[in-house]
Amino acid sequence: MSKKDRASSTLELRDVSRHFGSVKALDGLNLTVNPGELVALLGPSGCGKTTALRIVAGLETATSGELLVNGERYNETPANQLDMGMVFQSYSLFPNLTVSENIDYGLRARKIDSEKRAKKVTEMLELVSLASKAKAFPHQLSGGQQQRVALARALAIQPRVLLLDEPLSALDAQVRGQIREEIRRIQLDLGITTLFVTHDQEEAMAISDRVGVMSHGQLEQIDKPIALYNNPATPFVASFVGLANRIPAEITAKGKARVLNQKVDILESAEQFVAGEKVNVIIRPESLELVSESDSDATRGIVALKSFLGPLTKVGIAVEGAPLIHLHISSREVRKLEIGEKIAFKISSDEVMAERA
Amino acid sequence: MKRLNLKWPLTIVASLLAIFIFVIPIYGATVYSFKGNGGKGHSWVNYQWLIHADGFYPSLFTSLKLAVLAAAFNLILMVPTMVYLNLKGQRFKPLVDFLCILPLIIPVVSLAIGAQVAMPKFLQNTQYELVFFFVIIALPFTYRALDTSLQTVALKTLVEASRSLGASWTRTITRVIVPAIRSGITGALFLTFALSIGEYTITSLLHWETFPTWTVVAAQQNILGAIAISVFSFVGAIALLSAIALFSKRGLQRVEVEE
Repeated sequence: MSKKDRASSTLELRDVSRHFGSVKALDGLNLTVNPGELVALLGPSGCGKTTALRIVAGLETATSGELLVNGERYNETPANQLDMGMVFQSYSLFPNLTVSENIDYGLRARKIDSEKRAKKVTEMLELVSLASKAKAFPHQLSGGQQQRVALARALAIQPRVLLLDEPLSALDAQVRGQIREEIRRIQLDLGITTLFVTHDQEEAMAISDRVGVMSHGQLEQIDKPIALYNNPATPFVASFVGLANRIPAEITAKGKARVLNQKVDILESAEQFVAGEKVNVIIRPESLELVSESDSDATRGIVALKSFLGPLTKVGIAVEGAPLIHLHISSREVRKLEIGEKIAFKISSDEVMAERA
Repeated sequence: MKRLNLKWPLTIVASLLAIFIFVIPIYGATVYSFKGNGGKGHSWVNYQWLIHADGFYPSLFTSLKLAVLAAAFNLILMVPTMVYLNLKGQRFKPLVDFLCILPLIIPVVSLAIGAQVAMPKFLQNTQYELVFFFVIIALPFTYRALDTSLQTVALKTLVEASRSLGASWTRTITRVIVPAIRSGITGALFLTFALSIGEYTITSLLHWETFPTWTVVAAQQNILGAIAISVFSFVGAIALLSAIALFSKRGLQRVEVEE
């Protein structure tokens, strides 16, 4: 399948809501996925990301709002007429069919002649590097291979949009990384518009063109991964994306706060704070730096924990009157630090985000 | 202290019980079914009497026909129903479960008379009314066989995968669900067939002649012939069971390793 086989589609969700009784799973979601783009929906359990994907797949019906593909409305179209390729979280291969037959299933349903079907199946098997497993049954494959077959099966029908519903969550860490890269490679090769739902921010950040962070059925922010990380629009995004310290602080003047006896500037936001108000400031671990104990402006604490993360080590510092504060230190440097040792640190960030306490 | 190994004593007790309960009666019946006239010598005379007896073939074919229809009708009714209940109608499951148990609770006489009156007019007083009774009495067993089977597969995901690939509901049921629950369907099929072909009470109450009712009348005329009928029925049941098991095994072989 080449980029020419099916022109990439624009997917649009316009003010889409889905209510289950009194529960609002989706509450006026607006989202546009541009042709050939891979957009990830990221959020905690129950934020509505899977509901949004299922509405796009035709497996759920929106209570209100519009589902548009290339500007055409598809709200009432049943799942089997939507032409959406979907890869599910759990292995969804048909156990009684071989790998080839699984890939062929959607083509058969479309009554494509056998010669074309055989050609397409071979092409898909090569795409996911599983030509040698054509006659194997799903139970003979590893989890990663099964998800590659599921991907090939979804792509064989040349879908308008590829939908990925946490396809990597059942795989072990090493395979997850490989399949993640393979999905991105294939998506870029084919130029297919893709909506990817995950609760794993590393996964979302690694392969997406844009990431949408969802909370309570709404999109909090959608942006490029790096922008989302560096310029979160809301305290929720700041605390959900990446590791963040939530530290009690006090507003000293408009746009100024005192936190851990240090003065910081507050980012402008919709919320207005008044002097003397108690707030929480959100500070990323990399915005904290160790300094000499003789620095009079620094905050002092005691090393309470060390978590090795590979090149970096997460260090937890116990500070009087504050929750455990985390910062990232190069694993080489951290060897010098011992649990219980006194250290000093400063906030290096120019501006921090604040939320009402 | 050394633990007492009960494996062998239990195996011996179970084997002895099996011999007393199954092997000896079957062996005795088989030997007697081959006794000659007046109980002397050995011959096929009782089986010859059986296959030449008036009403043997008509009653046997009637039973087979009704059992096949009942099994088919039961599957057509219950497979989509059970799929719906497991997929979308979870809240109705306790109700349907209760309804399916009713045939075990309601006395057969009440069931036969009550259901016959409620049956559509075109079926009343035709032998095909028995098909519906057979379906009803098999419901408790088919419900459980199919439900257990459906709960062992990821039904929702398989159905959604099939639908998102463009398959209709018919295709989804025939190509995905039925093969996935083949063992449950085989069990339901066998239970309905076995219950239908051996059903006596309702058939007798409604004055129809099937193989079981014919057997009771015929057995009163020839005691050794009656034993031959028992052995014939037993061998028939074993053959049927083996055929269904073979069918099921072929289904399983379909998913076996093919390196």
